[in-house]
Amino acid sequence: MIVSVAVSRCLRPCSTKRWASTSQRLLTAASMQPSVSNPQHDNIVENASSESLGGEVRQVIDPLKHPDYFGVADLFTLSDLFDARVHLGHKVGVRNAYMKPYIFGSRLGVDILDLEQTVPRLRLALNFTAHVAYRGGIILFISRSPQTLPLVEATARECGEYAHCRFWKGGSFTNATVQFAAVTRLPDVCVFVSTHDTVFEPHCAVAECAKMNIPTVGIVDSSCDPRLFTYPVPGNDDTPSAVKLYCRLFKEAILGAKAKRKEATDGAA
Amino acid sequence: MMHSARCALKSAASCSYSQLSTCRTRVCRSLASVASDGPAKSDATPKQTPQVGSAGHERAEKISKAMKAYLQRAQSHDKFMTNEIAEYEIGKRHLANIMGEDPDSFRQEDIDKAIEYLLPSGLFDRKARPQMKHPSQVIPKRKAAEFGVDGRPFHFLFYTGLPNYYQLMHETNLKLEALKHHEDKMLARDVSPETVLHLAGSQWLDSEKLGDMLREKIPERDFTQFVKLMDRLAAHPYSYLEKDFIMVYRRFLKSQAMLQEIPPLMYADDGRAYMEAEGIRKRAHAKVKVMDKGTGEINVNGRSLLRSFPTILDREQIVFPLQFVGKMSELDVEATVEGGGNSGQAGAIRFALSSALQSFVDRQMVEKMRLAGLLTQDPRRLERQKPGQAGARKKFTWKKR
Repeated sequence: MIVSVAVSRCLRPCSTKRWASTSQRLLTAASMQPSVSNPQHDNIVENASSESLGGEVRQVIDPLKHPDYFGVADLFTLSDLFDARVHLGHKVGVRNAYMKPYIFGSRLGVDILDLEQTVPRLRLALNFTAHVAYRGGIILFISRSPQTLPLVEATARECGEYAHCRFWKGGSFTNATVQFAAVTRLPDVCVFVSTHDTVFEPHCAVAECAKMNIPTVGIVDSSCDPRLFTYPVPGNDDTPSAVKLYCRLFKEAILGAKAKRKEATDGAA
Repeated sequence: MMHSARCALKSAASCSYSQLSTCRTRVCRSLASVASDGPAKSDATPKQTPQVGSAGHERAEKISKAMKAYLQRAQSHDKFMTNEIAEYEIGKRHLANIMGEDPDSFRQEDIDKAIEYLLPSGLFDRKARPQMKHPSQVIPKRKAAEFGVDGRPFHFLFYTGLPNYYQLMHETNLKLEALKHHEDKMLARDVSPETVLHLAGSQWLDSEKLGDMLREKIPERDFTQFVKLMDRLAAHPYSYLEKDFIMVYRRFLKSQAMLQEIPPLMYADDGRAYMEAEGIRKRAHAKVKVMDKGTGEINVNGRSLLRSFPTILDREQIVFPLQFVGKMSELDVEATVEGGGNSGQAGAIRFALSSALQSFVDRQMVEKMRLAGLLTQDPRRLERQKPGQAGARKKFTWKKR
């Protein structure tokens, strides 16, 4: 019944200053979740009793204080993003003005997104999602791109999470009790693999999430509005290779966090 | 339930409450047993009941707000149903007393009869007439919880609102993708599909049937999407690999010939098989007897075909069914016909002969005969003469003055 976690093993170097500051942002965001449970909290309570019996000394670390508890920084590199064509945006003409800070430049009339900025933001988003998964939160994948619809739904299913890639009934979140004919637990985080409903319209769920105070992770292309997303990740949302990469990353982060959760709860039992 | 009947019965029912108190507890107990073995949709208990304070758990499991609300709703619904059923039982017993019958052996059929007798109604719609039914038949069933104790939905597409329908779409989509992948592989190997999936004689389930199957009400917009996707899957050259899946969502059309019962052949004393049939066309009535092991002889009213019908068109009409089934020289035909003119008589014989021939051929040929129009009666009759004109359509000669 040893549940100790070696701090040195889990600690990973915080390479940049930005990364350190984001982890602090994460701490506040993740602890805002009221309906999710912290498996390690139970752990600590259990340990306290076993400690007095066995007399073992344990070191328990708080995942929220750890900069990268789930190792999401190792899931990808900048060159992976480049190979998956995450840097390719839309034509200059459809650029959203709020995306300007994330744009590296334009080439042959096409915006090129700054992957240097994408990397930390994607890590932050993955870390947050993993924390929600670790605490038993509900993760909803949203996309309206017909081309990648089966992939996104299959990803959600494989993660043991949820997907909504179909027609969005207005009020699914804001009027959930009526829509689902019962009091319903809403998702704890929505992951927008593509943020547009049609080519030009933003997805209705973006506004609904903001109204319901549901944190959002969004892959924002150069034509999207990043303002309403809690964790905007600048990146190409149309190319299948890029969407495949996002799906793989989120799946690995969630499954990794769930494995850790199982470890913690099994240790507690 | 019994809204119209209740007002008439309530005043009388109030006097018999005291003697029925024991009955009420029995009803409650029986309700509990009904709730436990009901169908999945009306399942009163969620799949995972929270085990609060059980011996195995050291601390109470957290129940989500959604589950708490669900349990509360379930409890109030059960209470409501218990009351309704108790009221129904009292009403039933009292109705039995009014009708002078034994309350213990008073069944639903007796209630229906009694209500019809006591509260006669001439309203056209049956649903509008007073009735008294068991509450479980009248009050809509409650939906089982779609989420666990922690509030997490069971279905990965729960938030779409139509999880079963969209799961079907998702799986169909994956199958289509797999077929495309398979096709690519086969093309690279220069292999062509082995067979073709034939879907003639069946059609996609309609919106209601599909909804019943998936236990969801499918909007029109979504249903057209379903048909489009299924059509695309069925039209794929390798769709025969997914035949079992496709056929689940198709309904077979019964051919009209299959629906009709064809009388079996009869046998004469000398062992010859024969069949008789009647036919009508215009004002002519024909009776035909077709006999096996013949030489192709056709007699009409005791005379040969050639003498009865001098016009070649009429003779062709009569011979056509025999020619169609390819038995011109095997069968003998004896016909009696009366009324009408030449073409009417020929048509009546043709129809009677075709119906009799059904017994001599197999089902597939019958279906062919039906498609050829041989088994359809011609309903047309002589069109009446109109006043102000010469005939049915013919006008008088028009003179200016």
